[in-house]
Amino acid sequence: MVVELNRITKRFGEVLANDAIDIRIHSGEVLALLGENGAGKSTLMKILYGVHRPDDGEILIDGVPVRFGEPSDARSAGIGMVFQDFSLVQAMTVADNLMLASSRTGWWTGPGSRARGDAVRALMAAAPEGRPGSRVCDLAVGEQQLVELSRVLESHAQLIILDEPTSVLTPAEMERLYVRVRGFAAEGRAIVLITHKMDDVLACATRVCVLRHGRRVYDADMGTTSREQLVDHFIGDDALPDPLGAPLFGKARLEVRGLAGNREDERVGPIDFSLAPGEILGVAGVSGNSQQLLGGLLAGLVAPSQGEVLLDGESVHAGRFSRERIGFVPEQPRLNGVALNLDLATNLALKRIGTLPWLDPLRTDPRGAGDLLERFDVRPADPRLRAGTLSGGNLQKLVLARELGASCELVVACYPTMGLDLGATWFVHRQLHMQAAAGACVVWFSEDLDELLASTHRIAVLTKGRFAGMVRADQADRRQIGLWMAGAS
Amino acid sequence: MKLQPTLHRAWPVAAGLASFAVATALLFGHSTPSIPGFFWMLAKGAFGDGYAISETLVKATPTLWCALAVAVPAQLGLISVGAEGQMYAGAIAGGALVLFGPRESAWVLIPAMLACGAAGGAAWGAIAGWLRARFGITEIVVTMLQNFIAINVLEYLIHGPWMAPNSGNWPQTADFPAAVTLPPIVSGMRTHVGLFGGVAAALVLWFAVRRTKWGLAVRVLTGNPRVASQAGLSHFAYIVGAMAIGGALAGLGGICEASAIQGRLESTFLQGYGLSGYLVSWLAGHDFRWIVPISILMGAILTSADTLQLGAGLPASSAMILQGVLFACIVGWTSFAKRIR
Repeated sequence: MVVELNRITKRFGEVLANDAIDIRIHSGEVLALLGENGAGKSTLMKILYGVHRPDDGEILIDGVPVRFGEPSDARSAGIGMVFQDFSLVQAMTVADNLMLASSRTGWWTGPGSRARGDAVRALMAAAPEGRPGSRVCDLAVGEQQLVELSRVLESHAQLIILDEPTSVLTPAEMERLYVRVRGFAAEGRAIVLITHKMDDVLACATRVCVLRHGRRVYDADMGTTSREQLVDHFIGDDALPDPLGAPLFGKARLEVRGLAGNREDERVGPIDFSLAPGEILGVAGVSGNSQQLLGGLLAGLVAPSQGEVLLDGESVHAGRFSRERIGFVPEQPRLNGVALNLDLATNLALKRIGTLPWLDPLRTDPRGAGDLLERFDVRPADPRLRAGTLSGGNLQKLVLARELGASCELVVACYPTMGLDLGATWFVHRQLHMQAAAGACVVWFSEDLDELLASTHRIAVLTKGRFAGMVRADQADRRQIGLWMAGAS
Repeated sequence: MKLQPTLHRAWPVAAGLASFAVATALLFGHSTPSIPGFFWMLAKGAFGDGYAISETLVKATPTLWCALAVAVPAQLGLISVGAEGQMYAGAIAGGALVLFGPRESAWVLIPAMLACGAAGGAAWGAIAGWLRARFGITEIVVTMLQNFIAINVLEYLIHGPWMAPNSGNWPQTADFPAAVTLPPIVSGMRTHVGLFGGVAAALVLWFAVRRTKWGLAVRVLTGNPRVASQAGLSHFAYIVGAMAIGGALAGLGGICEASAIQGRLESTFLQGYGLSGYLVSWLAGHDFRWIVPISILMGAILTSADTLQLGAGLPASSAMILQGVLFACIVGWTSFAKRIR
């Protein structure tokens, strides 16, 4: 199968997302579509998958022009896609979600049905530890993505599009995915890997295509290019993260004592630690170890069953504690961080809603919002735009702009760089370091151990809701951390 | 270009009204010599003379209050079907003050009566809000069941402890003192100042939703409750508050009707207004600006149904049928319009 995209052009309002892009995709190759957030990678592939219709240009499969009105048209032409924002039904079980997507599902889907058996087999193939009976809303991000992956990988698609598939995976899961992707190419399928990570490209691509600002700027076989060449095309400026400053040691600013909490069947604690002003604690661990719950407890959003979180001696769970003192970056911003129906200015003002005037609450500073959007490089930086129109990476930046735009006393950041490109990742690191330099305590959840080792002072490993161990970042031993992650202490 | 969004909203409504006309002609046209004559009779019944207009506005007033009582919780995505019960709760609370409270001048008694009516409705609405916010029990079922409770509490009162001694065993309370009768807008007509109150409430609410922090908070809460709680907004307070405000509005409508029209509490005197108000709010898309004109339209339908009953010998349930047909036509066309957009 050869898929050709010719002169594909797509506009969203005034933004030119795709500008006459030509791409050919052949069976048996892994094409990496590399570019920054908002470069137009996802848009291009959503056009191929029938989500968007192009304003201009054509799609040919094996030389025959095709027109996809809906994703189902693309699926029947043998094209499958795993999205960055998952399209799972949160209230249904994993098995139900898989059966929902399959065209082979008959009217009987109960125990013992063929559809259920197929679904469970598909899941086991992609994720041996997957639980088909769990409801999707109870799964962590990484687990949800495995369900998405198994759904498309097993659907007999001849061309599989993966949109930022590794951004939420642990290193081991990533390796498994790379092997799988290469395997599918060897079986004669075509894979398109949308990514902004050089590692993904180097690990499994056979060809790479770089997009910048909606244009194709570079296209090469992996054999004929180098990492340096790719970086040159991928990122123009040479932003680097600030080096990590030393914490302002002294009296503990954040004290967490015997903190425990539960939500449904999740349980956290008891957890004890304290942070000096300016200290950054990295919390490592495989997703699904109650990171969300711990983040909510520390940020004062979830009431603890036991223990307390004191910031400068005041409990963050007290009713009169000002929300503006804490910067909270939730995971999955589309779901947890923004009101998609409201404009960017409103979303930025949410944190200050308690102090806004009663009449015309948002009339005061439209310019401040615009500046903040520029500073955090949210594209497009138009305060009147609805948040729902932004791409995943830009939504993440929008949340960061709100939560880290002013200085806080405590920052709780859950996967703050997930889904961001290299330049934006460095920018986030710098923002967190600046918050710390100004005296804030920072608790930073991440699954990227390299990120934590390079940019935090201490690393704690969260396993089954408890800290399995804690170590200074400059003395950390990866093997020991790995053991803690696996639950051996 | 500016017209386009308005047009988008207007054409399904126009199509709905046309379908309503056709359906009504098919259903009831046979009862009059000619179909144009039938519509002429409808129009004359609702707007034909001063008396008809007054009666239309009399029926529009409680409908308007009820529609507001539905639209306020609807801003938070809550579906209240309890406006009628809240009206009765308001009428009972206000009536209790008037019947058994101290005798004062109208300047004291009328505001106190209105305040009691609002408080009674608010308390009745807040129960459903509390059950929803605290235990997640659906407000649809609770408000519906509360209607039956309120209606039967009133029945109990007027058949028992509150029955007027001189009523000849007729289930009704004693007449309210003349001091608490809300004044008519035009003397000699039944239209009363409660209509102005409803219009003013609609304008205030429209302003509150568009221009105040309360409106912003409501939009955030409906947009993403998790984000709202991160911003420190209390979901609990807003849900209970919206249900209580809705209840207060319905309660005001109930006590206004009791004071200005009946002059006492009697059996099922508010019957049907809860449904009419509910339909109005949904037809208006819970937009406070549209609720006022649509309430008047609904008042017109109710009034002309009375005319049909007298003039064309149609049954009393024609009013319900007309409302239902109107609702089905407009909602059908609007959802069709959304689908093909």
